[in-house]
Amino acid sequence: MSLWLLAWQRFLRDRVGIASAIVVVVFIAIAAASAAGWVARDWGKEVGVSYAPPRFVKPNPAEQKAGLAGPSDVSRNDYGIRDPLAPELAEIRAGLAGASPTEKRATSLAFGADKWGRDVLQKAVKGTETSLVVGLASAALAAFLGTLFGAFAGYRGGWVDDFFNWLYSVFTAIPYLLLVLAIAAVLGQKGVSTVILILGLTGWTGIFRLVRAEYLKHKVREYVLAADSIGASDARRMFAHILPNVSHVVLVQLSLHVVLFIKSEVILSFLGFGVGIDTVSWGSMLAEAPSELILGMWWQITAATIAMALAVTAFSLFTDSVRDALDPRLE
Amino acid sequence: MSYLVRRLWQFVPTLAGVILLVFFLFNWVGGDPAYMLAGKIASPEAIENIRRQIGVDQPYWVQLWIFVKQVATADFGASWSTNERVSQIFATRLGPSLTVLIPLLLASTLLSLAVAMLVAYYRGSLTDRAAMIGCTVGQSISILVYILVFQYVLGYQLAWFPVQGWGSTLGENLTRYAVLPIVVGVVVSLAPDIRLYRTFFLDEIGQDYVRTARAKGLGEGRVLWLHVLRNAAIPVATNVLIQLPGLLAGAFLIERFFSIPGIGREVILAVERSDFPVIKAVTVYVAIATMVMNLTADLLYRALDPRVQLK
Amino acid sequence: MMVSIRELRVGFGPVEAVKGVTFDIPEHATVALVGESGSGKSVSALSIMRLLPPNARAGGRVLYRGMDLLTASKKQMRNLRGSEISMVFQEPMSSLNPVFSVGFQVAEALREHRGLARRAARERTLELLQEVGLADPAAKLGRYPFQLSGGEQQRAMIAMAIACEPQLLIADEPTSALDVTVQKQILELLAELKRRRRMSMLFITHDLSLAGSIADEVVVMRAGEIREQGSAKQVFAAPRDDYTRMLLDLRPRLDRPRRPRKRRDDEILLEARGLRKRFDGVEAVKGASFRVLKGKTLGLVGESGSGKTTLGLLVARLHEASGGELRLQGEDAFRVPRLAFKRRLQVVFQNPYASLNPRFSIGQTLTEPMRIHGLGGGEAERRGLAIELLAKVGLTADALFKYPHEFSGGQRQRIAIARALTLRPDLLVCDEAVSALDVSIQAQLLNLLQDLQDEYAMSYLFISHDLAVVKYMADEVMVMKDGEIVEMAGADEIYAEPKHPYTRALLASIPR
Repeated sequence: MSLWLLAWQRFLRDRVGIASAIVVVVFIAIAAASAAGWVARDWGKEVGVSYAPPRFVKPNPAEQKAGLAGPSDVSRNDYGIRDPLAPELAEIRAGLAGASPTEKRATSLAFGADKWGRDVLQKAVKGTETSLVVGLASAALAAFLGTLFGAFAGYRGGWVDDFFNWLYSVFTAIPYLLLVLAIAAVLGQKGVSTVILILGLTGWTGIFRLVRAEYLKHKVREYVLAADSIGASDARRMFAHILPNVSHVVLVQLSLHVVLFIKSEVILSFLGFGVGIDTVSWGSMLAEAPSELILGMWWQITAATIAMALAVTAFSLFTDSVRDALDPRLE
Repeated sequence: MSYLVRRLWQFVPTLAGVILLVFFLFNWVGGDPAYMLAGKIASPEAIENIRRQIGVDQPYWVQLWIFVKQVATADFGASWSTNERVSQIFATRLGPSLTVLIPLLLASTLLSLAVAMLVAYYRGSLTDRAAMIGCTVGQSISILVYILVFQYVLGYQLAWFPVQGWGSTLGENLTRYAVLPIVVGVVVSLAPDIRLYRTFFLDEIGQDYVRTARAKGLGEGRVLWLHVLRNAAIPVATNVLIQLPGLLAGAFLIERFFSIPGIGREVILAVERSDFPVIKAVTVYVAIATMVMNLTADLLYRALDPRVQLK
Repeated sequence: MMVSIRELRVGFGPVEAVKGVTFDIPEHATVALVGESGSGKSVSALSIMRLLPPNARAGGRVLYRGMDLLTASKKQMRNLRGSEISMVFQEPMSSLNPVFSVGFQVAEALREHRGLARRAARERTLELLQEVGLADPAAKLGRYPFQLSGGEQQRAMIAMAIACEPQLLIADEPTSALDVTVQKQILELLAELKRRRRMSMLFITHDLSLAGSIADEVVVMRAGEIREQGSAKQVFAAPRDDYTRMLLDLRPRLDRPRRPRKRRDDEILLEARGLRKRFDGVEAVKGASFRVLKGKTLGLVGESGSGKTTLGLLVARLHEASGGELRLQGEDAFRVPRLAFKRRLQVVFQNPYASLNPRFSIGQTLTEPMRIHGLGGGEAERRGLAIELLAKVGLTADALFKYPHEFSGGQRQRIAIARALTLRPDLLVCDEAVSALDVSIQAQLLNLLQDLQDEYAMSYLFISHDLAVVKYMADEVMVMKDGEIVEMAGADEIYAEPKHPYTRALLASIPR
């Protein structure tokens, strides 16, 4: 019975681990469904009145009257001041967009609507797709680079190690978020693939250091010496012998970095450097929050926070359980 | 002494690497921001003019030489957006940043140490597990949410503290304007710090020398707060030192939203406006600060841990 | 009776480590608690001090002068520990706090229990350090544990333990982590202190001979139960229990005759001249010259730091030599192509828990050398060969699909030997191959190695710190100290008439 199988059995006994794994799977399923277009496809459509409250909140008639009517009354802006040209402009806009200006809009949605009447719940779902795609892809990229560099640096030593250590010290001399922001500032363009590249190409350092330390440790272990004594080549020792003994560290790091990158992407999108305006992210939802909160519209920030908290907590607990299953410490 | 000299020498290749990286990013990839800076409607002459002013019309190796000189003389020219001299920007913004950062670091370290020690001692108990889950959930909420919510509740609704802004005297800042940002900063760093320090403590509590101390008849209090803490202080102290430069730039979110005129806020503004000189300067300065902090951390490590022989 | 233990039971989770143990420690007596790993001896001792980990359950009674220690209050225990009952542990390096000076740690006991002021404590500490035989005690006061040698650390620990004049000193394998020559000194120190201060001592060890040489009473434990107890004389002369008898028999004694060898030829297989190895400015091996005969065993004896392992790895070309010559059947061994060399010389390593890749199944471990060297036509044939080898070392075919963690230490070593045999080497380097195993298992493995040597006509370079084991296995023996070979002779001669003073010191420190 291999060590992987043992770890799997240990994992199955961990109830918190199983629960969080289920939540993670659900989130991935939601993200996949969203990517395939099965859900939240029309998140951008303005289906509700501006700031429509969630269905589970009792509608406040006073609020509704006080200038929060739908776009049919764009004559009043946020301060209640009448804009004489507004109705004409609205008609022009609607005509351009092809929607009938008198189209019916919902007065309340499952989790409310944002300023433009877009469904908050659908936005949250679409944001899940964004975050998970970014998180998983950049973590995979960072893990790949970090492991490759770490293996060579740790095993070979000498100038190879010196080179990668120099690269590591350069990249870590600059604090992570600052580096990410600097690159974002330079690239100027936004979009999911850009974000993935940025996060992946800067986030390999943590994994590199750990993998390198593991290789240094294992290089002098007796089973590697034994492999040398039966004639195994360097490549064989690095990848057939040591790597399987290091992969559990990489797996845990991968999971941790998914969490880190999801949080980084949210910050990036919040600041406007992440995904473009044609995509939605929990970060861009949070960006709309400050002005909403002042008006007392709490549902978008709540939706984004709950979605993110659930996903990240589930991933974190899942990571902890995986780590315990793979490398149990004595109580 | 020779160790110190040798380590300082090692700064050179790293700094060179940072300079190259920054140069590569901003002068090569970032290339030609003249269009952006010139404004929407600009004549070709205006654009050429700007190019000459910011120096991108020169060949690359000349630009690199200029940059190296800038780093050496600590003079990065003027900000592209405000035209303020970059060195001036730094001098004036450092103060507010530190006014928030230092109390924040002190408060969060002491608080998380105490909680981590208690939680590590009662490892496996309900308190421990509840605290750990609490930390996990707490960490899963973005710092942005903390800032927004605290601003809204404590600043806007309850009006205990100003929502944003900065005062003119140190005293005024510490008691009014800095309080909310510090509170938010402490709350945000509690969760990861507690988890980290708990690990340090657990590592130490499981060591043989703790068993010996108990076998000597020492009380639990002395064992924990003297024997264990003294050993755990080593990774904790080095951890705090290493975090410092990252905090400087990382507190930018807090500074931005509380309108604190610190370095972090400058960074965000510069990024939003593609103000390359400022970003370049900050990156280089922070990189140097990081290297200095790492060296200090190593020296501190040596001072705290007698086993470490500096080679 | 100073201490009376009645029906002590200790469990961790579902496992019962101690299953109802009853024995006494009289006043002014030394009681030895003997057992192999897992016997429960250390756990029993820790119960007296109530230093068990928090998840332990303890039952029964531990009476110290009438007071039941298992039910005493925490305060009472704290007062007792370090002042009336003290303990010395096995690993002095990790048992001392690394960030406080030695003087501070010894003085701490004095200040805690005797309320001494700082200067008085310092003076008393100086006296104690002198009493335990530390050279230059004034300088040692301010030193940190890592600055002391293993023996000095242990002396410091002992000073800490006796500082408050305890009635009972518990010593848990105090010498097992130390070099043989130092062991003897520490044992003498403990005996002297016990006599002078009229303490009782509970001495825990896995070495029955050692127990016999210092104890008044002996208690033999196995798997949590007591198998035999009585006065030392009686247990050694007329043991009542089978297990005790087996332990007595299995001690490789210096006077036991060796197996007669089957081969008689004296052909030289391996010859080394002036081998040197330098690490970072330190000469680990300083010019070693020796030869190994075909079919015979050359034993290499030395303490830790002598360079014996480095020499073994040099011979196996796992380290690169800094100088010297090595000839394998006349050829320059350093020039032989790598793979060809590996077929003629293999290694069995010390740590059975580290020498097998934990992620490889046994089948993978055994067939890998075949695959690398192109032996065996296909996977099926290789498996067949692997099964044969397993049988040779006494394991069944279903081991192929299992993983190292499913086997005991002794079984893993057998697998490691099988792996070394896949290539049918001419020379096998055994680097402390049995040192990490329990005594009862050691004997089996040594016999296995000898059987295989006869069958395959292999030569052995047998490296060990254990003189008795080396004598049992080797035809010729060389003794190494500080990187040099100080003496080399036939096995019988070297033990009967050692010439070099170091060899004599080594032989003298073996307990009889």
